[in-house]
Amino acid sequence: MELATFGRDIVHVDLTRGRCERRPAPREWVEKYVGARGLGVRYVLEAGPSVDPLSPDNVLCFLNGPLTGSEASMSGRWACVTKSPLTGTVTDSHQGGWTGARLRWAGLDGLVFSGRAETPVYAFVEDGEVTLRDASALWGRGIHETVKILQERHGGKDVSVCAIGPAGENRVRFAAWLNEDDRAFGRGGTGAVGGSKNLKAIVVRAAKRKSRVGDPDAWKAARRRALDAIRDEANITSPKKGGLSVYGTNVLMNVTNKIGALGTRNSRTTSFGESAELISGEYVQENLLVDDPTCHACPVACKKEVEIREGPWAGLRMESVEYEPAWSLGANCDNADVASVAKLIDQCNDHGMDPIELGNALSMYMEASERGWTNGEPLVWGDAAAMVAMTDAIAHREGVGDLLAEGPARAAASLGHPEIAMAVKGQAVPAYDPRGMKGMGLGYATSNRGACHLRAYVAAAELGVVPIEADPLEWRGKGELVKTFQDLHAFSDSLDLCKFSAFAEGAEHYAEQYALALGRACDAAEVLAAGERIYNLERHYNNLAGFGAGSDSLPARFTEEPSTEAGSRGHVSELGEMLAEYYAARGWEAGVVPEAKLRSLGIV
Amino acid sequence: MEVAFFATLRAIVGAKRVEIDLPGDARVGELVDALVARWPDLKELLRDESGGLSRRVHVFLDGRSVRWLPEGEATSLEGVESVDVFPAVAGG
Repeated sequence: MELATFGRDIVHVDLTRGRCERRPAPREWVEKYVGARGLGVRYVLEAGPSVDPLSPDNVLCFLNGPLTGSEASMSGRWACVTKSPLTGTVTDSHQGGWTGARLRWAGLDGLVFSGRAETPVYAFVEDGEVTLRDASALWGRGIHETVKILQERHGGKDVSVCAIGPAGENRVRFAAWLNEDDRAFGRGGTGAVGGSKNLKAIVVRAAKRKSRVGDPDAWKAARRRALDAIRDEANITSPKKGGLSVYGTNVLMNVTNKIGALGTRNSRTTSFGESAELISGEYVQENLLVDDPTCHACPVACKKEVEIREGPWAGLRMESVEYEPAWSLGANCDNADVASVAKLIDQCNDHGMDPIELGNALSMYMEASERGWTNGEPLVWGDAAAMVAMTDAIAHREGVGDLLAEGPARAAASLGHPEIAMAVKGQAVPAYDPRGMKGMGLGYATSNRGACHLRAYVAAAELGVVPIEADPLEWRGKGELVKTFQDLHAFSDSLDLCKFSAFAEGAEHYAEQYALALGRACDAAEVLAAGERIYNLERHYNNLAGFGAGSDSLPARFTEEPSTEAGSRGHVSELGEMLAEYYAARGWEAGVVPEAKLRSLGIV
Repeated sequence: MEVAFFATLRAIVGAKRVEIDLPGDARVGELVDALVARWPDLKELLRDESGGLSRRVHVFLDGRSVRWLPEGEATSLEGVESVDVFPAVAGG
């Protein structure tokens, strides 16, 4: 497996004609946009900004980065990039697990789907070849069953399956792709794009292969330096010792609760009080944990497999009660029953849905119900059984489920009250309340894919886990900070290394591994420059698609209704002030990339 | 004064909450010293090489990290309703 040839082995699949054609990515694109996220955005731009996301004209890109599937730590990531049916922006989402790595071992760097198959199909990849197979008998089946059937059909060993479920088939606007049963391309509705194309699954069969690079000793030493940083006991990634490794992402629940940054009851308050402990990583570890599975080349093992032992869902074994869904389906819906949270997440994994969007849709509808703004079928705060039933209804677009399948922003607008949707550019907010973590709020507002915690993830600074620390309640300085973090992550998402590598590694580690893998020069400054170029490319696409002045916003709840909870009491998001700082740092004019900036970055 | 511990610190302390005896005019530094005296394994987490409060741990007074309070370790504990001690954590 030659790492330096990255970008050469991309197969374009025209689903309308049933043709699979190997076409290398233009060298210039790979040079400028690295791979995975960056390269995918360039393909989406090529398809045009006015494309209807659910039409055959949209492209659905599954792309590795130059490091995917290599021996580099935390390199089990690959990206799905398309125009989002939820937001109308370009969107990218990333999975862990093994499918991306296996695609690389099968001799491919990516798959770009266009068109629409006449009947359901799945793509089978082996030895660098892609064939389309009939998926009619799989249509309508959940992801767990689909994975099982396809793994058995193709031999089980060395086989990975990435699939959509009923939600994608029914074009739920926040439908997701999942591989290995539970690793998701979660955000932005990529699963609905798959459903619109009659594409049920991607199956990859390939045994593990070793990377080849020009300087193996230097490559090994660089990887070792990165691994040492990950293992350092001072870092939260330290295997079996750091908080992320021991408890998974849900180690965050108690701390955001304490600092008044845990949105509760559709973000009407900023703390879940004593109930947060009951859905926290600490509680899960003490009461439900049965295993710590991991992804390709990852010593952190943040995934947490749990088993529910009592109550209506006793016997359910699933992964993973992550922080985001534990918040969205827990605190945000006033639901302190962790067993039901696990059940709801597993439903998302089986139906193929984004649990962040689902939780926000349910909490929005709960608030609407409380205020008497629904037309029957009310949903009561914390009614776990009703949440489970509504989740099935959403996946199948039945009754009120059909309304909520449009996502909380569209659904709230349909109810005549768009102000109760906690969303940015049509995508719902994640688990950090912008009143208690100012930088995260700015990150939501300026994310190119709608509200998102991962584009910037300045939580690492605001919670003090990286050397650059920032007071979560101070708005000054957040403009430059958010820009820097967005640029760094745009690069790591294009390599494609796990986001959490940034808790231990820095731009220097990324530069060194990228340079040795590709056999080219690269330093930390170039990492940030490439990240900036990718971020501006995304923004340029969005500008062409109609996003501009006013698009970088937050719901008024965050800017006008002060927090009433300890840690952030009295605070709102000073979004206007932060945006001014941010646009100055970016060189943008009211959210638009000027022509001169595009030229200076080599985008046009 | 009751102090709550979270995540990996609970295994060291052996409890979620503990009661610490402190004088009425105690400040954060004295609390940290009292914790280290009772659980010596906390020292390398709570104290950095220069004896200051380590970056690896956050002590929150009513939801605000001592790191962001103007008087830092010299902040008085008088009137504080909750003290929470976390290792540095993140995820997403």
